[in-house]
Amino acid sequence: MVKTKILTPLYSLRMSESQKSQEGEQRREVWGIIHIYSSYNNIVVHATDITGAETLAVASGGMFVESGRLESSPYAATRAANYVMEAIKQKGINAVHIRVRAPGGVKSKTPGPGTQAAIRAIARSGVMIGRIEDVTPLPHDSVRRKGGRRGRRV
Amino acid sequence: MSTPQTRFIARIPLERLPVLIGSGGSVKKEIEERLNVSLKVDSGEGIVEITPRSDTSKSWDPVNLFKARDVVEAIGLGFSPERALTLAQDEMVLSVIDLSPYTGKDKEDNTRIKARIIGTGGKTRRIIEETAHVYVSVGHNTVAIIGSTGDVEAAREAVEMLINGAPHSSVYKFLDGYAQKRKFKRMY
Repeated sequence: MVKTKILTPLYSLRMSESQKSQEGEQRREVWGIIHIYSSYNNIVVHATDITGAETLAVASGGMFVESGRLESSPYAATRAANYVMEAIKQKGINAVHIRVRAPGGVKSKTPGPGTQAAIRAIARSGVMIGRIEDVTPLPHDSVRRKGGRRGRRV
Repeated sequence: MSTPQTRFIARIPLERLPVLIGSGGSVKKEIEERLNVSLKVDSGEGIVEITPRSDTSKSWDPVNLFKARDVVEAIGLGFSPERALTLAQDEMVLSVIDLSPYTGKDKEDNTRIKARIIGTGGKTRRIIEETAHVYVSVGHNTVAIIGSTGDVEAAREAVEMLINGAPHSSVYKFLDGYAQKRKFKRMY
């Protein structure tokens, strides 16, 4: 077994022994993915390993503010992103890809107000950023939007 | 440390391409400089490829990519470059309402609904723009709104009311109510 200096994250467990020794101990990049789901009502920042199947940390806007109205605010998004970035740094991730999505489908296709703040917080956390993708599900043809024929009645 | 592989693709109608590029490439150049991105325009198909500038330093802001895509899309939806470039500020968002689910394939329906949103001589659109502090552009099959998040939501609601057949007076009343609330919020 090759000796590992830092805390072993899930991703590095999956790497073969030969890969590890090739990259060397010093400037090894350990990649993760940050999934940002951003709607008009809330924002979820979710960090996984590179496979996307293993969660490393999750936080939502609602965990940091009291009123429902503020859950999607830039402030809540920054707090959530900072929380997640701290958590994954502890686990040894030092490079991330970012995947942003809005509700998509028949719902809003534009990400909510917190997105920019969250991405900025991730960029400031000192972790290397790889690809940035928009993964909003866009229908080629879709089902009927909810609300009925007469629309939403308030 | 920058992100050479990341690229965003935007598609805009061919007739809007000259607006995106501007005379002598002025508009394109301004977008590139303001947001530190480079735009590659495929003028045959109307596909715009947005990538971060390769020579940027570590302090490059990934948010600019999203902004640049919004600006390009806004120009494609019919906004003037000046209005589209307000999206380069923080807090400004672009929201698009697709009219096709409301109008179906009926051409007359489409014209009627767009006429309701624009109003006589642009009156209704002007009222929406002024009371909610947004920019509205009515395209072939879309209504696009630029503004800050809360304002856009109110304008969107107003436009949806018009699409669903609400009388103009009640939409104006709704917008007035929003303007009051907006003023009140600003006081804090």
